[in-house]
Amino acid sequence: MATDGQAVPPVAAAADRGADSDVEVALESLGQWQLAWRRFKRHRLAMAGLAIFLLMIVVAIVGPIVAPYNPLNIPNSKIPGGEPPSLAHLFGTDDVGRDVLNMVVNGARISLAIGGFSMLIAGFVGVAVGAISGYAGGLVDNVLMRIVDVLFAIPFLFVILVAARFFGEGQVIPLILIFGLLSWPLIARLVRAQYLSLREADFVEAARAVGVGNMRITFRHILPNALGPVIVAMTLIMAGNIVLEAFVSFLNFGISADQISWGNALSNAQPALSLGNWWWAFFPGMAIALTVIAINFVGDGLRDALDPRSHL
Amino acid sequence: MIQFIVRRTLQAIPVIFLISVVSFLLMQQAPGGPQAAFNQNPHISPEQVDAWLRRWCLERNPDLLGTVREYLGWLGAYNCTGGGFVSDHGLPNLLPAFLGGGSNGVIHGDFGFSILSGRPVLELIMERLPATFILMTTAFVIWVTIAVVVGVLAAVKRYSFFDQAVTFIGYVLYSLPTFWLGLILIFIFGVELHLLPTQGIIAVRTSPAPFGTPEFWTAFAAKPLPLIQDIAGHLVLPVVTLVAVSIAADSRFVRSAMLDTLGQDYVRTARAKGLPPRSVIFKHAFRNALLPILTNVALEIAFLFSGAIVTETVFSWPGMGRLYFEGVSGRDYFLLMGILLIGSLLVVVFNIIADVLYAVADPRIRY
Repeated sequence: MATDGQAVPPVAAAADRGADSDVEVALESLGQWQLAWRRFKRHRLAMAGLAIFLLMIVVAIVGPIVAPYNPLNIPNSKIPGGEPPSLAHLFGTDDVGRDVLNMVVNGARISLAIGGFSMLIAGFVGVAVGAISGYAGGLVDNVLMRIVDVLFAIPFLFVILVAARFFGEGQVIPLILIFGLLSWPLIARLVRAQYLSLREADFVEAARAVGVGNMRITFRHILPNALGPVIVAMTLIMAGNIVLEAFVSFLNFGISADQISWGNALSNAQPALSLGNWWWAFFPGMAIALTVIAINFVGDGLRDALDPRSHL
Repeated sequence: MIQFIVRRTLQAIPVIFLISVVSFLLMQQAPGGPQAAFNQNPHISPEQVDAWLRRWCLERNPDLLGTVREYLGWLGAYNCTGGGFVSDHGLPNLLPAFLGGGSNGVIHGDFGFSILSGRPVLELIMERLPATFILMTTAFVIWVTIAVVVGVLAAVKRYSFFDQAVTFIGYVLYSLPTFWLGLILIFIFGVELHLLPTQGIIAVRTSPAPFGTPEFWTAFAAKPLPLIQDIAGHLVLPVVTLVAVSIAADSRFVRSAMLDTLGQDYVRTARAKGLPPRSVIFKHAFRNALLPILTNVALEIAFLFSGAIVTETVFSWPGMGRLYFEGVSGRDYFLLMGILLIGSLLVVVFNIIADVLYAVADPRIRY
């Protein structure tokens, strides 16, 4: 493992900088994030997960440039149900001869985009609502939390159907918005719980006594302290939403057929399974499973690194 | 305690009401509608469609007010046979029937009819419920049992090879897309090995009648054994799928609850007294860890009713999940509202049960 980000031992650092800055350097301490990174690196599965996840991102960015997916390029397979994996087609082909490896590489972009951007939306909205709710309390808190209750209970298939009417069916951005909309209540509850306990903390009292404004206390003083569990929950949401994309495609409410995502490829493959074509369904599903496992391990490592007291 | 239950029940009413309102509004905004099936048919005139919709107490392209009228019709506050908010007896429709109110709507205990099949919503639900019940309880009992055993063992042997292996396998299973796992299982055990049935709840050719119908139950009462065997065979793959994807969350939960109690002072005291480890683990730690576990289990039971859409679809299981999905696809408003209402009622009820259980199991908690 390279030394970037790793703490330089104080003695070595002192030697580097010469004798005159001796005292100053010895006092140099590691920040919260450096400490967390240190703990994270010790978690081997999480590091492996991070490597796989970064690899998937590279594939998602580079893959479509190198070998773009063209749904209309139909070579017409000689074998009904598609050709099994061979040297020419490492992952085999679908029933009309399109390369499954090509689908998996190109599908990464939409699948990861849906998971990643919906996670960011959930994070921003959830933190904002949870922070306001937890810090303000009273009526504001009550109203916001009832909205969260209702959002939790609303059947998401309806939401997807309705969004299809307003934003067009099978498009990526509506799906990202919906998944974000459906995921933020979880974060909001988490953040609120953190704020309820943190707003009574001494450092908040101190900040208030010095005359710091409410907005600044909420977002500059309390937020960094509440962020650990939120980041962990966000990894879970990203993993969950990648699976959800596949689930929604399976129910025919997903990405339209002129685009390719892992879920889309997987659900198209279903009828071919009874013809003995396992590879068409297997590899996209494997890509989903591998990515989600990787993200979940990263989340596990982050939990150990950021939230050492929790052992869930 | 009784006061607490009453208060919680009263608090739940506005939430359920809101859920039903929002669901209905959303459902109405979805493209298409129950009449969409007639649009392509040249023999059905728009007037006929309108008359058909009126019989269902629906409007063709309702504006917001129209949607509210439709909702109130479903609720029972609106009399759509022409009376508006007044019942046929000239009194507010909202009143109970014996006081001169209307008889339509859930307030009067009428869940209405399914638009797709024309049959009463409750009858349809009752027909599908046994299949979901069989599937979900079998899977639930198995996964909770395994989760408790594995979770407790993992907590007791924290950071051991066993603990780490369980964590790893748990994460892997948890990460698999449900239907993908189902499809792979179907491929291996059904298509390739021909070991297990992959579709439905009974073998259609040997079954006396479709599952869930009254004829089926009479045949079942006369000669249950072969039918039970048949159902058990059909159960294997869906149950394995459900158990695999659900087990990780619960075993992590049990492990964490157990670790919490194992770190408590009274456990250290019990150890210091020289009690045998078995007694410390089961009598002191596990009994206290049971509290959060019980709550968690009670909350999960509420969701068993709604079935598992994906698993039921992959294995063509004739349960609630598929009924719901068919309802969504066909815009069967009343069927969907019925399922949603019963589902959210159950969630509320089991939430209260969980809180009560908590108080019963832990005398320190008072409401």
